[in-house]
Amino acid sequence: MTRRTLTAGERGDRRFAILAASPAVLTIGALFLYPLLYAVMLSLYQMNDKLPGATQFVGLWNYAQIATDANFRQALVRTLVFSIFTVLGGVALAVGIARLLQHPFRGRNLARVLLLVPWAVPPVVNGIMWKLIFDGTYGVANSALAGLGLIGRPIQWLADPELIMGVLILSEVWKLTPFLALMTIASMQAIPSNIYRAAAIDGAGSWAQFWKVTLPNLRGTLMFLLIVQSMWSIKVFDTIYVLTGGSGGPAEATTTVNFLAYLTTFSYLDRGYGAAMSITIMGIVIATTIFWILLLGRRKEKST
Amino acid sequence: MIARTLIHRALVVLLVLYLVVPFGWMVVYSAFPSSNLRSVRMDLSPADLTLASYTALLSDSTFLVPIRNSLIVAAATTLICMALGSLCAYVFARFRFRGQQTLLLGMMAVQAIPAVVLAVPLFVLLRSFGLYDSMLGMILTYTAFILPLVIWMMVSFFESIPVNLEKAARVDGCTRLGIVRRVVLPLSGPGLAATSIFAFITAWSDFFLAKVLTSNNTPLLPVRTAAFQGIFAMDYTAAATAGVITALPVLVLALLAQKWIVQGITEGAVKG
Repeated sequence: MTRRTLTAGERGDRRFAILAASPAVLTIGALFLYPLLYAVMLSLYQMNDKLPGATQFVGLWNYAQIATDANFRQALVRTLVFSIFTVLGGVALAVGIARLLQHPFRGRNLARVLLLVPWAVPPVVNGIMWKLIFDGTYGVANSALAGLGLIGRPIQWLADPELIMGVLILSEVWKLTPFLALMTIASMQAIPSNIYRAAAIDGAGSWAQFWKVTLPNLRGTLMFLLIVQSMWSIKVFDTIYVLTGGSGGPAEATTTVNFLAYLTTFSYLDRGYGAAMSITIMGIVIATTIFWILLLGRRKEKST
Repeated sequence: MIARTLIHRALVVLLVLYLVVPFGWMVVYSAFPSSNLRSVRMDLSPADLTLASYTALLSDSTFLVPIRNSLIVAAATTLICMALGSLCAYVFARFRFRGQQTLLLGMMAVQAIPAVVLAVPLFVLLRSFGLYDSMLGMILTYTAFILPLVIWMMVSFFESIPVNLEKAARVDGCTRLGIVRRVVLPLSGPGLAATSIFAFITAWSDFFLAKVLTSNNTPLLPVRTAAFQGIFAMDYTAAATAGVITALPVLVLALLAQKWIVQGITEGAVKG
């Protein structure tokens, strides 16, 4: 591009653009970029508040530790289990709900509005809510099962390592799936109705239409939902904290990688190691995102 | 055909129950004394209904102060995010400049950063400015976390406004800022509403950052509410009541503004 003199209007526009955009960009930069770099630095140090004076630069040693840390590996497995259920199950459920509300019927608007209820409930409250349902002594789940004569004595949902993971998955899906469903409904409505008509003329039943028309057209949306829910699932924290009284228990059954990074940093005060762990988690989030893009994003690339 | 419709209706009823009952159950819980709620012999006779735990909590200053703090922090965060965010989003929607896509993608990429990565650095940063455990510190922190999303949402709203209107206003001698104020903002009412509610709910609901970056000076509501459940003892009625009170403002807000929120999601989704 050749240099040319800008007109007064263009210069004014440019000044406006810079002035208008910079406060936001600078705020984000100062409160994101600086802490991020700080965290990267921190992860290269051995720095434990329980061992003052032992602070030293250790390079990538913390990361090497993580690679052989059995606790981290177990937390990773738990995160994987939790994420497979919440991401695949959650997105599948969201599509199911969207399909249920796709065509007009009386009461559809009400049902759609109610999808906002779980979305608006704060995560902490979500934790309390499920605790009230699954508590061993006070929970309504036990009274319902006992009332039906299915159990003789109360089940300790939250004290059993496997059951509590189930409760955790349920609570996350309950809270986040309806929002995904709303987004799915929105993009379902953007599918031109004449494609459906053409499919119907070709003799496709509603099931075939769903598989052959609806799903392929949702490809981009599905990719987005999978990415967003994966991020949420890997970063899950609040619900674990409330359901387990801040312990990630019982017997570490709900200590996912993010919770482990929290415990390492704020309970064991092992700041350097905690920072390395959380940066590793960030890497996992980014890798997962790339995975979904590679898996589902191909068509978009071709068309542009 | 009739069978299909019946199955469909039944599934819809199930869905509605699924969405409403867990929260509804907490509301029920909050209105009965703990002693009625042991699962072996649950007693929900209407005669025992009581609002005692609401009056107790709402006259307890250790609960009222966090409500006030959370209101101020969430409202201020929303205002700042909307002011800075919509200006910035306008520039992204209307100007073309080098690095624009990268910047916009960067805004989305910060979503990948777990809050736990930033917690210690933010703690150190806020403390060195004397802002640890202060409202201003929390407002700044939330602003940083929510601004990228606000910008992202507002860009797509602004892009849906026809440029011609602005050109007309320019010919009439309006400045850029004047155009934003007189033409663009009035036309993006639903978008602004949906985005600010989104910002408010996010700031109001955050637990992790509040837990790490505040202490006794600036207690925020989610942290206070989470404290109702210890590992060993839990006053179930009080916990349920605190839960209802914490959720109610944002729930009401979301339901009142449902039209805009759904519209906002729709426009965003169609774009994406």
